[in-house]
Amino acid sequence: MQNKLVDVEKAVELIDNGDSVTLSGVSMVRAPMGFVREIIKAGKKDLYLIDREPGMDFDILIAAKAVKKVRVAMLGFELFGLALNFRRAVENREIEWLEDTCGAITNALRAGASGMPFVVVKGVLGTDLVDIHENEGTWRVIDDPFNGEKILAVKAINPDVAIIHVQKADKYGNASIEGSRFEDIYKAKGAKKLIITAEEIVDTEYFMKYPERNTIPYFYVDAVVHMPKGAYPTACPNYYGPDYDEVRRYLTMCREGKIDEYIKEWIEKEV
Amino acid sequence: MHTADVMIKAMAMEIDNNDIFLHGLASPLPALAMHLAKLTHAPHMVYINVADALDPEPNSYKLCLSSADPRHALNTKAVIELLETFDLAAKGKLTGMFLGGAQIDSKGNINLTCIGEYHSPKVKLPGGAAAAYLTPIVKKLIIWTTNHSKRVFVEKLDFVTGLGYEEGKEKDVTVITNMAVFKVTKEGFVLKSIHPDITVEEVIENMSFSPVVKDVKTTPKPTDEELRFIEKLDPDGVRFSEFKK
Repeated sequence: MQNKLVDVEKAVELIDNGDSVTLSGVSMVRAPMGFVREIIKAGKKDLYLIDREPGMDFDILIAAKAVKKVRVAMLGFELFGLALNFRRAVENREIEWLEDTCGAITNALRAGASGMPFVVVKGVLGTDLVDIHENEGTWRVIDDPFNGEKILAVKAINPDVAIIHVQKADKYGNASIEGSRFEDIYKAKGAKKLIITAEEIVDTEYFMKYPERNTIPYFYVDAVVHMPKGAYPTACPNYYGPDYDEVRRYLTMCREGKIDEYIKEWIEKEV
Repeated sequence: MHTADVMIKAMAMEIDNNDIFLHGLASPLPALAMHLAKLTHAPHMVYINVADALDPEPNSYKLCLSSADPRHALNTKAVIELLETFDLAAKGKLTGMFLGGAQIDSKGNINLTCIGEYHSPKVKLPGGAAAAYLTPIVKKLIIWTTNHSKRVFVEKLDFVTGLGYEEGKEKDVTVITNMAVFKVTKEGFVLKSIHPDITVEEVIENMSFSPVVKDVKTTPKPTDEELRFIEKLDPDGVRFSEFKK
């Protein structure tokens, strides 16, 4: 095992402009916000963001003009309202977007992790998403080779980079996601490069004592960054809940056209 | 009594004892309805939520603003990855799902994607989430809206994100609004009940297509005990947030 613990400035260099990138978490839970800030700081451009149901992580990257394209099943702030920067960028055609559906995008990520070229999924046929994805080259309606019925083939997703925020990791990259895992294990294992950010760096003895808690073993990992409160203002289970007031403040500033101010302040402030 | 509580009870009544139900993001009413069903007539129902939790413990549950809030997984008995729940759906074992609808047509098809044309939308909505995948394969589809209006009940969807009634398929499609409960069947979009203090005229006036109206009942209100359950699960009144527009 090699020591992969690096400074965040070093880890962010693993991302090239134009890369496809997937981020951990769902909505207001375990989004790698600390690393998102570094991506913005480093001035990354033309990223293709892919996830099932992200939130502020995607919206703020769009606001910071780091994004060329977004592929999601849903992107919003739930009861707080629409993701205003996403909405504006799509409506003004500043970014490309591809709407997905949870069952297809999660299976595509799992297929990517499994080394399969594609996966077939049930459902979906009959909806308007099929044409959109057939034109995109991401889905094909095929005949089941065994019974001849129509079924949807979904191309595997292997993002260039996955950034996964976890509760505990050692310096070699062994990483433990506590609580809800969502699709993060598949994102991690299917990505070409994997960056782990962790609330805590633990000794390898931790995993020797609890090997079942090692949800992403070291050999998948390219870089480990120690990042306490790295999901803030989204939640990190067993560590802290989502800061709804901060989410509200973000959305208010977006609404008032002060997003640049928010980003500037966020970048300058060390958590 | 607040309409939210009437809608929660109506949702709960669609859940049976042997069902497996899932709720997604932005789903305060479904989350409470699943708890209510489990605390009353459907104790053996399997409750899975978007926080990857199995049977969240009602005694330590408090409804939060994000449906994926880790507090919704407090004292859960297992972490169920959403993919596992989707596998259940593929095997025909996920009974039901709740979905919203920015637009709903007379077949119970829903649009959650965009208003206007996909490639140049007037309004980009948050997106369909699991709608396209789950709506064709669940046995029970419950669509809800807190905005019973002509803008929601349209003749033609701008985009078909999810499928409602499908002929020949064993699928029970229910639409629950802030005014009424409908079932979508081969007879059409059937008005089953109107909420207390709502008239049939109001229900119809606020739709762009005509529902089938016969034997309309009044949607039952939650009992005092049921209301106490709801209050205890949601002391902060998160369930009312969808109504403040």
